Amino acid sequence: MKKTDFVNELADYCEFEKEGLLVNTPLKDVEGYDSLAVMSMIAFIDEKFGLKFTAVQFEDISDCNSIIKLIGEDRFEK
Amino acid sequence: MGTKITAIKSFLPDLLVTNEKLSEEFGRWEPEKIENKLGIKERHASSDGETAGDLAYEAAEKILTNYDRSKIDLLILCTQSPDYYLPTTACVLQSRLGLKNEVGAFDFNLGCSGYIYGLAIAKSFINSGMADVVLLITSETYTKYIHPKDLANKTIFGDGATATILERSIDEQILNFVLGTDGNGKDNLIVRNGYSRNPFDPKAKEIITGSNDIFTDNNLYMNGTEIFNFTIEAVPIAVNQCLIKNNFTMEDIDFVIFHQANKFMIDYLRKKIKIPQEKFYANMLYTGNTVSSTIPLAIEDALCNGQIKKGDKVLLCGFGVGYSWGATIVII
Repeated sequence: MKKTDFVNELADYCEFEKEGLLVNTPLKDVEGYDSLAVMSMIAFIDEKFGLKFTAVQFEDISDCNSIIKLIGEDRFEK
Repeated sequence: MGTKITAIKSFLPDLLVTNEKLSEEFGRWEPEKIENKLGIKERHASSDGETAGDLAYEAAEKILTNYDRSKIDLLILCTQSPDYYLPTTACVLQSRLGLKNEVGAFDFNLGCSGYIYGLAIAKSFINSGMADVVLLITSETYTKYIHPKDLANKTIFGDGATATILERSIDEQILNFVLGTDGNGKDNLIVRNGYSRNPFDPKAKEIITGSNDIFTDNNLYMNGTEIFNFTIEAVPIAVNQCLIKNNFTMEDIDFVIFHQANKFMIDYLRKKIKIPQEKFYANMLYTGNTVSSTIPLAIEDALCNGQIKKGDKVLLCGFGVGYSWGATIVII
């Protein structure tokens, strides 16, 4: 999967504004990023990758790149 | 011989908390966003001085209006917001409801799995011959535990009570149970202070969450991420085990009712477990998450609107605080 496709799919799933959203956009600056969006992110990652992250791991997520690192870079196209 | 549910009634307190009111008060989260995501438009809250015992009393009176109350020989109340440290709220209710003295009465402390456990207790008492008629009540006032500046929890939880009468039946209508517990999750949904471990602290420090909600250790704390992780792990297994234990497949089940935690969560569970939408109940629009009352409220509503009818096999699953979970199949 391409990282840009991941970002777009995540944005769709979490109902983020896609325009201007890049892998390194700070999530705190994304319109709609809140505790409801986190619930969507958990579901998306479980559905797409069969992975679960703890609340502590989620606290360290700052942008889509840090989610990709948690999932594992090897699961994405270079 | 077996046990059957013969009636369910509910009571919701008068005070309404709408999405509009919350949105205006906090200045964030549009009412439509809350409704679309959580499936909640409004919830009821107990007023000052209105206790879980009061809500339980009202729900019970609704059901006893058309029922010979002298027949009840066991009263069980599921609550995590009892009226007193002691005595047991169920004992107080025995007197308020004018039930005979030859009635067993006790509370049990469980949250969102509580109705399933209540059915298991009622079935055990009836099938063992220790009781003929059980009045099972669920009642919570979680809103009293929530910090006034905690929007996330204020949007989710509502107060309410239900009363269910269970009687002896010719055929078993409450089938086999799956019950589960993982106390390692205790810190993820908790009111830390106010009981023996940590007394109420009037100077408890305010903690600000990543979503700018505020709580103290005197209040309800919910780690939504961990609760969601627990749920998507435990519920599919519990549902599968329940089907196996009863020698059914999902095709044999007419309808499925989960604890109505929030719309997003139960919709996700439905898709993950591959339950057809038309067989699945999802409605907390006017009640919110009423903890142990969501399942009986759903059965009452589904019966009323024709989603379920007499003779249907309905799979029930409750899950949450503890962690605690349970599932069973009832024949309506």
